[in-house]
Amino acid sequence: MKPAKFEYVLPSTVGAAVAALVASKGEGKVLAGGQSLLPLLNFRMARPAVLVDLNAISGLSYIEERSDRIAIGALTRHRELEQSPLIAAKLPVMAAAMRHVAHLAIRNRGTIGGSLSHADPAAELPMLSVFYDATISVQGPDGRRTIAAEEFFVDALTNCLEPEEIVVEIEFPILQHDGWAFEEVARRFGDFALASIAVSVRPGPAGLKEARVALMGVADTPLRLREAEQELIAMELDNRTPQRFSEIVVSKVSPNDDLHASGEYRKHLLAQLSKRALQTALAAKG
Amino acid sequence: MSSDQRAHLLDAMRPKYVGAPIKRTEDPRLLTGKGDYTADRKPDRPLHLAFLRSGQPHARIAGIDISAAQAAPGVVAVLAADDIADDFKPVIPFSRMPNYYATPIVPLACKKVRYVGEAVVAVIATSRYLAEDALELIEVDYEPLRPIARAEMAVADGAPLLHEEAGTNVLIAREFKKGNVAADLKAAAVRVSGRFEMTRKAPLAMEPRSCCAEYDKRRDAITLYTSSNIPGIVRDAISESLNLPGHRLRVVAPDVGGSFGSKGSLYPEELLICIAARKLRRSIKWTADRLEDVSSSSQAFAEVVDAEMGFDANGVATSLEADVIGDVGAFSIYPWTCGLEPVQVVSFLPGPYKIASYRGSVRGVATCKPPTGPYRGVGRPISTFVTERLMDLGARALGIDPLEIRRRNLVRAEEFPYRIASGIIWDKTGFVECLDAAAETAGYDALRKQQAEARKQGRLFGIGIASYAELTGIGSRISAAPGMPINTGSETAKITIDSTGSITAAFGVASHGQGLETTLAQIVSDDLGARFEDVRVVQGDSDEVPMSTGTYASRSAVLGGGAAKHASKLLQEKIKRVASHLLEANADDIEVHDGNAVVLGTDRAVSFKQIAKAVYSDMKTLPVEAREELSASYTYDPINGTTAAATHIAAVEVDPATCFVKILKFVVAEDCGRIINPMIVDGQVHGGVAQGIGAALFEELIYDDDGQLLSASLVDYVIPSAPEVPLMDVVHVESESAVAGGFRGMGEGGTIGAPAAIANAIADALSPLDIDVSILPMTPERIFRLIEQAKLKAKGQADD
Repeated sequence: MKPAKFEYVLPSTVGAAVAALVASKGEGKVLAGGQSLLPLLNFRMARPAVLVDLNAISGLSYIEERSDRIAIGALTRHRELEQSPLIAAKLPVMAAAMRHVAHLAIRNRGTIGGSLSHADPAAELPMLSVFYDATISVQGPDGRRTIAAEEFFVDALTNCLEPEEIVVEIEFPILQHDGWAFEEVARRFGDFALASIAVSVRPGPAGLKEARVALMGVADTPLRLREAEQELIAMELDNRTPQRFSEIVVSKVSPNDDLHASGEYRKHLLAQLSKRALQTALAAKG
Repeated sequence: MSSDQRAHLLDAMRPKYVGAPIKRTEDPRLLTGKGDYTADRKPDRPLHLAFLRSGQPHARIAGIDISAAQAAPGVVAVLAADDIADDFKPVIPFSRMPNYYATPIVPLACKKVRYVGEAVVAVIATSRYLAEDALELIEVDYEPLRPIARAEMAVADGAPLLHEEAGTNVLIAREFKKGNVAADLKAAAVRVSGRFEMTRKAPLAMEPRSCCAEYDKRRDAITLYTSSNIPGIVRDAISESLNLPGHRLRVVAPDVGGSFGSKGSLYPEELLICIAARKLRRSIKWTADRLEDVSSSSQAFAEVVDAEMGFDANGVATSLEADVIGDVGAFSIYPWTCGLEPVQVVSFLPGPYKIASYRGSVRGVATCKPPTGPYRGVGRPISTFVTERLMDLGARALGIDPLEIRRRNLVRAEEFPYRIASGIIWDKTGFVECLDAAAETAGYDALRKQQAEARKQGRLFGIGIASYAELTGIGSRISAAPGMPINTGSETAKITIDSTGSITAAFGVASHGQGLETTLAQIVSDDLGARFEDVRVVQGDSDEVPMSTGTYASRSAVLGGGAAKHASKLLQEKIKRVASHLLEANADDIEVHDGNAVVLGTDRAVSFKQIAKAVYSDMKTLPVEAREELSASYTYDPINGTTAAATHIAAVEVDPATCFVKILKFVVAEDCGRIINPMIVDGQVHGGVAQGIGAALFEELIYDDDGQLLSASLVDYVIPSAPEVPLMDVVHVESESAVAGGFRGMGEGGTIGAPAAIANAIADALSPLDIDVSILPMTPERIFRLIEQAKLKAKGQADD
């Protein structure tokens, strides 16, 4: 299980990295933390002619507060997000989810830019980017552009990037929420999610003023359930709300069967998690 | 002799090391990355081997084009079956069993492939990278044949034959019978039955299989380093197959990172790498990657058992009937045969119970999968699962507590030796004692109260018990595998004191994680009278003893330990004789301890170093005839072997929201006879139970209907990790066995008891929903389906 032959370049600027991708004529692949790419190389499922290693580029790893947003550099490791007091204070749902991201050794190497680019539908960071309505900045031969997270994920393991584009930064708006919850079930702690939901709520004079719901592990991409959010806002709050909410959430998805879980079981899990998550979020809103 | 002297003597004779929790001698090197595994070998300019493996489950090989691969950079040789046809004789896993067909073992697939993962072509190149590059240039022209993915497909009318020469896909069929089962079942007050299954499992050692054939041009000789637990068997088989005499073929198992049975058979890769080394006159290395290891190492279980048990009104099991079908994969393995696992199921189904009549039939059926082979517990994980489920079903039907029904059926202390209905004889072991000790340690009555409380709250809380017995350390009278012609009944120890006074104890057994370097040194130290730190244990090397079969079947403490005891005693006699000259005392008045020979009741002593000097170096001290070489060798055969037993108790809770099982409590009470090292025994139990939890809840090799392996990576093949393994209590019932030292084998029990105990606990937890547990692993998906079906059924009944 050895990778096929490739050329290795170690640029020191994003511009040089993009130039290397351009020079590879579509045969290049970006290496960040390598936690998903290296197994693919070793299985020879990915066979890039050129491997462009971003790890020598300085200034791509940071977590910064910019008025109402948190900006995160693409090379920021999962472990840094997990341990960041800023993330804990401003993006609590992310802070709660990060401990579910794989295992410590993987979190030490894996990067946010890599995780988003890999676009695994059962991975936490893609789901969080959708949940928070993050903006993904990418750099290509024509300069920078930004992409809304919901536009970024096209299919399982497929993003909307052009072959010469590299994710450089992700901006997460700081959500005004009063109650939130993150729930995940995986076979073992750190495994890919069988089902997961993030919920946040802001109470209004009657019922909820705002609600946000995102899922992973139950479709080909992470999902933001905008319809379910509206239905939840429209609901009168009583002790049956979590049950009704969970029925709405489940009605929005039709997960496939795979080796680890049938679609029916995933729906069952999602129903349980949705109920629990909304209960937690509503309880926290006071 | 004064009473003081007698006390002194007894003190000296008391085991000092056996029974002590000595830290493992191996651990400092293994835990600091200084182990020397096969892949760490650095022969002179080695070549690297990579295998092209079949992606077809069943196909005729119409042609192989290796020309492009041969021309690829770095490639030294490309070998397919035709290229090596004259270099070996097929290895036949022979057995005297009737109704058995021995499929020949060849290094590379010849004429057809029979499972996905079977080696077809070998590329030998200057690096593994270049070898794998060249694999992609090989063209194999396959003519696909109908795959046989499941045992039931293999026995269906008109099924294609995997081995045409066999004339059938049933490679082995046997039946055991005692008494009149049909009449006893008919007369039974209660009959319980089920169709039980344990799915296919990977042994999954941390170190994948690995070989390094080191070629010695001067002697046309090969030293094969291989991650094996049977280096002696591998040596003998390759010697025969390649017509390479033993003095030119040495097989060494250096540090081995686990086997669990997967490194306990001869492999085609071991034959091929020796053939290639000899052909090319070069040293060659190969290490399986995880995909190769999972898809081509021997696998476990894959059996379905239809079983029925009859009880009288008092809860005494009177009769047992079972039909077993084992999906044994594409080949019979050497030397154990494909009968090893499934035949052992019917041999052990009556378990530790006095069931009067029995009929057990078994068929081992060829399918397009890797062969099944030995796996920690061999046959008994599933036989125990079946019998213990039936015991619980019987208890439930009769309204008897599961603990009590076992107490009524276990062989009791006064009844040993006891021949169970399948013919196995249990020697005196603490069956009931283990049951009682486990119940006491688990706080069984309190657990039942806790369960009653939990049920009031609607929680799914269950308690499961499993008792089992196994044969360990078997001698020459019993074959380790049915009808197998090689002798697995003896082991040799050769102990030498060299001219510096140091002790080397050489064995043919081959530790692959059991800590034999420690435990065998403990035995030698006690029985020789040496200091522990002066004893070096050498093992896993076919050159060290004339013949050995290795470490498997919980035999090394009993056979290796027995040989160590006897050889130590012989050597101690020599020491005493020499010391009697040096100390001018009668040999009978000399005792040996802590590396010294001492005249009883005096302070006159000589050290091993002084004795060695007198024998080997100093030509004046001893008369010539007294200069005996300080070496002794003994081959020990326990003739029958000895029983080991345990009771496992698990308490679990099933979360209906996630359908996950949480193990709240796990207790093991086991009887492994006299304990050599309690830390190692506890470690073996902990590790075995962890694997048993894997079998009960997680691990499953999933093949689709076309014979493709779907769970070939550790993302998809789920094993328990540390958080999934609970703390457990281990209690020891130390009843000494009749073999030398009073030891019993204990390396396998964890995997035998745990799946059954957990299955019973889950069934108990789910019993308010009227759910039965008959297949393992009980994954969340399966529990979800069972609960859904139960809901539908309950709804249907309510609607009626």
